[in-house]
Amino acid sequence: MSEKRKYKKRFCKYCEAKVDFIDYKDVPSLKYSLSERFKIMPRRLTGNCKRHQDMVTISIKQSRAAALIPYTVSRKVVAGAPFDDRNY
Amino acid sequence: MRHYENLVIVKPTLTEEEIKNTLAIIEEVIVSNGGEIIGRDAMGMKKLAYPIEKNMRGYFYVLYYTIAPAAISEIERRFRINEEILRFVTMKYDSKREIKAWNTMVEKTKKVVAATPVAAPVVTEPVVAETTEEVAS
Repeated sequence: MSEKRKYKKRFCKYCEAKVDFIDYKDVPSLKYSLSERFKIMPRRLTGNCKRHQDMVTISIKQSRAAALIPYTVSRKVVAGAPFDDRNY
Repeated sequence: MRHYENLVIVKPTLTEEEIKNTLAIIEEVIVSNGGEIIGRDAMGMKKLAYPIEKNMRGYFYVLYYTIAPAAISEIERRFRINEEILRFVTMKYDSKREIKAWNTMVEKTKKVVAATPVAAPVVTEPVVAETTEEVAS
């Protein structure tokens, strides 16, 4: 069931958890809104609400500046091991 | 006085003592400009998401402090001069909600300091548990 509705849930996970502020250092919580290649996922795929999507995009960009999340990922890294020992 | 946070990445090529010295210099810069350091969080040696000045790793250190807004430009100028610092990110916490988050983060650092013998716990939000499975699928 959960596999079938991968991107069809239309509720915001951050609203559900009542997140008020998203910290740019908290990488695991940001990862939800990132694609395999560390692009910011659109709202229509993640189901985030507008308010939280804005917060997420800002903090993702901040943590990119802080070298916690990469700007781009080369094809080699994606094909090799997407989540290997790197801890970002 | 405004609430600020500074993340500093120190060069990985330095020895432990040199890292300690540079961190002391960083703190001295803030204190000498009239700031008050309230929380410190050493995230330790981490792999960088992308190389900075050909370094693949870096020592992450986070400082929480309050300071007059005018002093920030001077602090950033001093950081830019320091060659041991690879990268710094200054964050302002202005609105009520942000200050609340700032306070919780400061308290988190204090807890980690108190519980250091118990292998520094990584505090995660409830969102995290759901995120991992979503990414994997």
